This record gives sequence, structure tokens and C-alpha cells, in this order.
Amino acid sequence: MPKDNYSVRVTNVGKTYRSEGIEVRALQDVSFTFKKGDFAAIVGPSGSGKSTLMNILGTIDKPSHGEVYIDGIATSHMDEAQLADFRNKKLGFVFQAFNLINGLDAQKNVELPLIVGPASHQERREKADRLLTQLGLGHRLHQKPTQLSGGEQQRVAIARALVNEPALILADEPTGNLDTKSGDEVVKLLRSICDDNGVTVVMVTHNLDITRKCDKIIHIRDGRMLKEEVLK
Amino acid sequence: MNADDIFWLSFKDLTEKKIRTALTVVMVVIGVASIIALVSQTAGISSAIQSSLNSLGPTSVLVTTTKSTGFTAADVAELSSIPNVSSVTPIVEGSGTLLSNGQNTSVTLIGIAPQDLDLLLGNNASLYQGSMYQDTIAPTVVAGHSVAFPSSLAGHQNLFIGQSAVLAVGGLSTDVVTVPIVGIMQSYGSLILPVDTSLLMSSSAADELLHRSSYNLILMKAKNTSTVGYVANTTTAIYGSSVRVITTQQIMQTANQIIGSISSLLIVIAGISLLVAAVGIMNIMLIAVYERTHEIGILKSLGFKSRHILMIFMVQALIIGFIGGIVGIFLGAGASYGLAYGISHASSSSTSGGAAHGGAAVQGSDRGAAGAAVSGSGSSGSSLSYSPVFSPSTVVSAVVVAMIVSLIAGVYPAWRASKLQPIEALREL
Repeated sequence: MPKDNYSVRVTNVGKTYRSEGIEVRALQDVSFTFKKGDFAAIVGPSGSGKSTLMNILGTIDKPSHGEVYIDGIATSHMDEAQLADFRNKKLGFVFQAFNLINGLDAQKNVELPLIVGPASHQERREKADRLLTQLGLGHRLHQKPTQLSGGEQQRVAIARALVNEPALILADEPTGNLDTKSGDEVVKLLRSICDDNGVTVVMVTHNLDITRKCDKIIHIRDGRMLKEEVLK
Repeated sequence: MNADDIFWLSFKDLTEKKIRTALTVVMVVIGVASIIALVSQTAGISSAIQSSLNSLGPTSVLVTTTKSTGFTAADVAELSSIPNVSSVTPIVEGSGTLLSNGQNTSVTLIGIAPQDLDLLLGNNASLYQGSMYQDTIAPTVVAGHSVAFPSSLAGHQNLFIGQSAVLAVGGLSTDVVTVPIVGIMQSYGSLILPVDTSLLMSSSAADELLHRSSYNLILMKAKNTSTVGYVANTTTAIYGSSVRVITTQQIMQTANQIIGSISSLLIVIAGISLLVAAVGIMNIMLIAVYERTHEIGILKSLGFKSRHILMIFMVQALIIGFIGGIVGIFLGAGASYGLAYGISHASSSSTSGGAAHGGAAVQGSDRGAAGAAVSGSGSSGSSLSYSPVFSPSTVVSAVVVAMIVSLIAGVYPAWRASKLQPIEALREL
């Protein structure tokens, strides 16, 4: 297999669910690529299969057919422990509902991905502090998520996604729960991460303001790829 | 992932639901406390019986008659001639009612030569007030501590030195006699010998009071513990079925057997409360896993593996077991002293209850007849006073058992948690 220069390469991916004896084809024959450092979006109406596609990219769901290569590594045949390792080292997640752990302060939330790795307590803390400070939350290190605004929570989540220096950040409607101003800030932040650190960012979004800033847009409808738009 | 990371992640979950965690811990506390309390009771009672028997001496052989005729001086001489016998002490034992200041108190009359009293009571019996009784046919009496200070008077003195106590003896055709009180014993506290509820006097005085001319109990001492069996067997060979022979070693054995079975029963009862605690822990943890489904999904999406999740929940169960165990020790110790006080108090305030407690251990076996003759006859009872005994092994094993039980209870919920798929878990909102 040739050395892969793509950050994400999806080949003939299909996903079939069996729900109460009925086969549901959530995805059929989807193929596309994202280059390293792409700022990309997956768009489509609800029920189109874009969330399934995100879950497969995030390795928390497995394709029924086809293969997903992330950073050149095939993911569909890894076992659970390998996938956990892979997610930990290569992927960062940003969710619409932030998905921070409410019982932990901002700093500890950012440290979480490092806990399963080899970093020492001090390294972990310093790294989390540095990232949060970079994202303008240096004064919020020891606040619990419930004490933070939505925009702040999403920035903590982005810090958590970045802390292990991933190859790919997957953001599922990252602005969906935010007001316009906070949403713009979050998008700006994701874009700068993409530009400055060369991290590939893939978002699911309905927001046209966001898609306008993207390098590449994948349109999904009824489980199939409708078109691929390259804007850069 | 380091051990301390697992620990604080586990602890975080527990501290987030403080009341629920506390209630779960309480279940373990109750289980551990009941084990500690009940085991320490039986250990305490066992050691009280042991020390009572020790004062009687491990070489003692008690002989009682099963016929209406008692032992005579000739019997004493014959028994003294058995090889390996170091002493033969004839004792007269009966019952009476002390009539004093409007109080009717059942008492045991023990007639024994004053110089032989140590053979019966060991070295830990001493006078509290007054002087020892005389070895004469004219009665002079030393009263047991509870007779002089009955618990019905809350420790106030009822009998005084120099007083003539009025004593009714002889059942229905009651004889009423007066006897001079010359001394009062220190509290003796034996479970076997009802010294505290007795009147002590010479054997000839007791014979006179009870209208007897013989002894009904003989205390023999063998030269050493290895010849006790020989002395007991020879005595049985001489008298056949007209006497009962029992050694303190036999009483000890019987008592230990009975206490052993009571203690197993109590451990089973306490174990049931731990079992209930285990079901409670499992229940609460299953609820916790259900509530944290989403959180588990987040952790898994961040790279936590199944074994990490498993360990976090197992450690939670262990923490509950450990805290419950430690608190249970202290609560159990407190409860032990409370129980011991309650039981001692109940047995000394009700003499019949005391007899049931004190005599039961010995009377439980028909080989214990001689012991029963000493401790249970008459309606007077010995007071059951003991302190709970805590052995380090009981305390440590209670905590270990609590942790193991919690761990076992936590296995299934933790396994459920670890098997959650991140995609399923993340859907829960």
C-alpha cells in the first residue's frame, strides 16, 4: 500500500444497521479524502447519515463495508483496546453538548486524555494549564463546567481535544449549542488550530457561515455522498 | 493510568453523591459492626467462663452424689487414698432465702472449711469487709457481695457486719434461723461458682442449718493435669452410678463446644447483614453505572479502555467496603460494650435470668451435672459479668471480609460499565 499523504481516506464505506429485523442502510459506498491540515465539513439534512459517518471516522462505530484510513492507518479491523489507544493518540473530539465531565474542573477535564498515557502528574497539569491559558481560560482553570458559559465550556472541550496533539479533530455541530458570538469564536479557534498546528479539522454543521470558511465540503444525503466541494 | 488516578476518579464519583454513598457505607457498617459486636460477645463470655474455671483449677474433679445419702468422712478418706490425689475437700451445698429489711433474696449456702476455701475459689477471692467465718458448728457467715449489696437496692448495703441475718431454709416446712454475719466477700464475678449470691460458712454449720449429716459435693484436686483423667476414672470405678464425676477440663470442653456453636450461629446472622449490604451495594452501583453511562462514553471516546472503567468501579466498591469496615469496627466496638453492659445488667437485676445465663453453659450437657450442682441449684443465679474480647484477627478479618464482599458486589456493575460501547454511551443524554 502506498504511503498515504491523506489525513483521512474513506474508501467505499457502507453501514447497515439491523433494527427490529429491518435492515437500515445508513451509509452506502462513501469515498472521499481530506488532506493534512484541511478544514473540512460534512453537511446534510438530519437522518442523512452524516452522524454515522462521523462516528465511523471517530472509530466509535465500525463500517459494515469499506475502510477508513486515518493518518494512513486502517482502523476497521482494530480491536477495542487498540481503538481506545488510537483515539487517545490520534483523535480529538468536540461535541455539540460539550460533553465535559461535570464533577471535574476545567484543568482536570483537559488532563483526562493524558491520564491513560505515560505523562507525569506535573506534565499533565502544565500542559492543561498552557492550553487553557492559550485559549483564554487561564483564569478559569479550577471552575467546574457548570460554572462556565457555553463558549467557555466548548473552549475547554477544544483544549481537551488538542491536549494529546492529535492528527484529526472531529467536531460534531460544535456551535450548535452556542450563541452567534461564541460560535464565531469557536470556529475561529478551530480554524487557527488547523492553520497553525496543521491539524485536520472535520466538522458536521448546518451553519453556512462555517462552511464558507471550509477547504472542502462533503454533502451527504440518504446515506450516499451527493457531492464533494473543494473551496480552496 | 496510575493507581492514584484510578483512586481519585473513583472517589470523585462517590463524593458527587454524598448521601447515597453514605447510605451505602452504612449498610456495610451495620454488617461489620454486627460481626464485631457478636463475635466479641462470645469471645468475652468464653473468656469469662475460662477464667471462672481457671480459678477452680484445671486439676479439679467434682464429685456429686445421685443418691439421697451424701458423702461421709469415710468417703473422704477413701477418695484421699486414690493415687495422684493431692486434696479432697468435702462441701455442703444447699439453698435458702434471706429475709432482710423486707427483702427476700434467694441465696446459695456453701459449707466448706475456711482453710479449704482457696481450693474452691482460687486465689482471687478475698474479703471486702469483716473477717473469715469460723470452722465451728455454731454458724458464722460470710456473705457474697451481691447478697450484701443487692442490685435491687442499686448498690446500697443491705447486710452489715455484726448483724444477725434471718434465713429461711428447708423448702415448704420452712425453718427460720438467724445467723451472724461476720464478713462480706469482694465481688467474685464467676459464671460457674455463685459466690456473689452465696452465704459461706463451715460445712458443719451448713449441715446443721440444712438438717443434714453428710456432704453432697466433693472437690478433689489431682496432682497435675495429666492425672485428672485417672482420678476421675478411679472415682467412677469405686462408686459406679451412685455418683457423678466431672472435671473442669470436661466443663471447659463442653462450654467451648456450646460457645463455638452459638458463635457460628451469630456469625451466620451477622453474615446475613453483610449479604444484604452486598445486594445493596450492587443495586446502588448498577444505578450509578446507568447514571454515568454518558460519562463512561465520554471517557471511552477519549481513549479510556474497558479495564480502566472496570477498575474505577471496582475501586469504588473497595472504598465503600473499606470505609464501611473501618467505621464498622468502631461502631461494633461501641455496640459490644453496650451489649455486654446490657446483658450483665439484665442478668444481675433478674436472678432467674442470671441463672439461665450462668448455668446454661454448664447445664447444657448431662456430664455437667456437678457443675450445675454448684452453679445452678436454688433459684439464685450467678451474675454474668464479662467484657467483650476483641482479637486483632477478628477486627482485621471483618474489614477484609467487608472489602471482599463489596468487591464481589461491585464486579457485575463494574463489568456492565466496562462493556458499554462508546457510541451507545454517548447517545444517552
